[in-house]
Amino acid sequence: MAEIDFERRLERLFGDAPDLADATAFAQRVEQRLDRGWTARRWLIGAAGLAGGVIGASQLMMSNIFQQVATAEHSAKTLSAGLSRVTPTTDMVSALSGGYGVWVAVGLAVVTMGFAVSRVIEEI
Amino acid sequence: MPGAIKTSLASLHDVELCSYAAAGERRAFGELVRRHGSAVRHLLRRMGAQAAESDDVAQDAFLAAFERIAEFRGEGTFAGWVKKIAARQYLRRLQRDRRLSALAAEGVEEEADAYAGDADHRIDLDEALKVLSAAERVCVSMCYGAGLSHGEAAEALNLPLGTVKSHVKRGLEKLRARLAPVNEAKTGGAVLEGRRGNG
Repeated sequence: MAEIDFERRLERLFGDAPDLADATAFAQRVEQRLDRGWTARRWLIGAAGLAGGVIGASQLMMSNIFQQVATAEHSAKTLSAGLSRVTPTTDMVSALSGGYGVWVAVGLAVVTMGFAVSRVIEEI
Repeated sequence: MPGAIKTSLASLHDVELCSYAAAGERRAFGELVRRHGSAVRHLLRRMGAQAAESDDVAQDAFLAAFERIAEFRGEGTFAGWVKKIAARQYLRRLQRDRRLSALAAEGVEEEADAYAGDADHRIDLDEALKVLSAAERVCVSMCYGAGLSHGEAAEALNLPLGTVKSHVKRGLEKLRARLAPVNEAKTGGAVLEGRRGNG
């Protein structure tokens, strides 16, 4: 037998692999591992997003954001007082000046941070 | 409905399934595993892995293939691509368990007695591979089963190219004696150089 023929025959023999009895079970095991991997990844992304949001919020709260917001509130009050002379007070301005503004800002920051971190991790 | 999905996946070509898998469709990849899982596991067993180990490595190889499915351009067959991944993963496992160095340091032991009298019978590849040394079996399987060149096999095995070529040559001689038809076995085959000697 020529050398090349033998090598081709050998390749054919290697390629000739009958299905093993548990071929379907094997495929199912691989699919299960894939599913587990995706579920774990989703949890990881969610947890990372939450952690990012919490960290972002804590950073906001630790910084002198309250002082700045207090200043902003004071400005808002001044603005509101000025505006009240011109137009009726709006709900938004009154909400901000009533102290809810801080928590609205913190809440928005948490959501935004969580969304941003989730997106970044997903892209990675 | 799942049955219908399975049937429709079964009718698709490997390349189509790969494109679905690249889009994150895990059921499509499952169909690929169903089609080629046995071939990959056979290859690993032929390289010398035990049944359980071959299953573990094959699973890891398929998971790695899914992660890198976008790299598969359809130039070769999907099965060939996964076999290469699996062969390399098996070698990495050998390396990790320090079995690869033992394999590399393995002496050239002639096992003529193991096959001297059996040339009258045409036996299957799995039986024939048993007469090869571990190093020969790995090298031959990588080159003819996984489709690696001698150079790629040498790189994966971290062995000199010449050593790999020697293992392949000796392995082919033994296989030829074992697998060749009776008349040829009696006359003795020509020395095989191996057409994969492309570095």
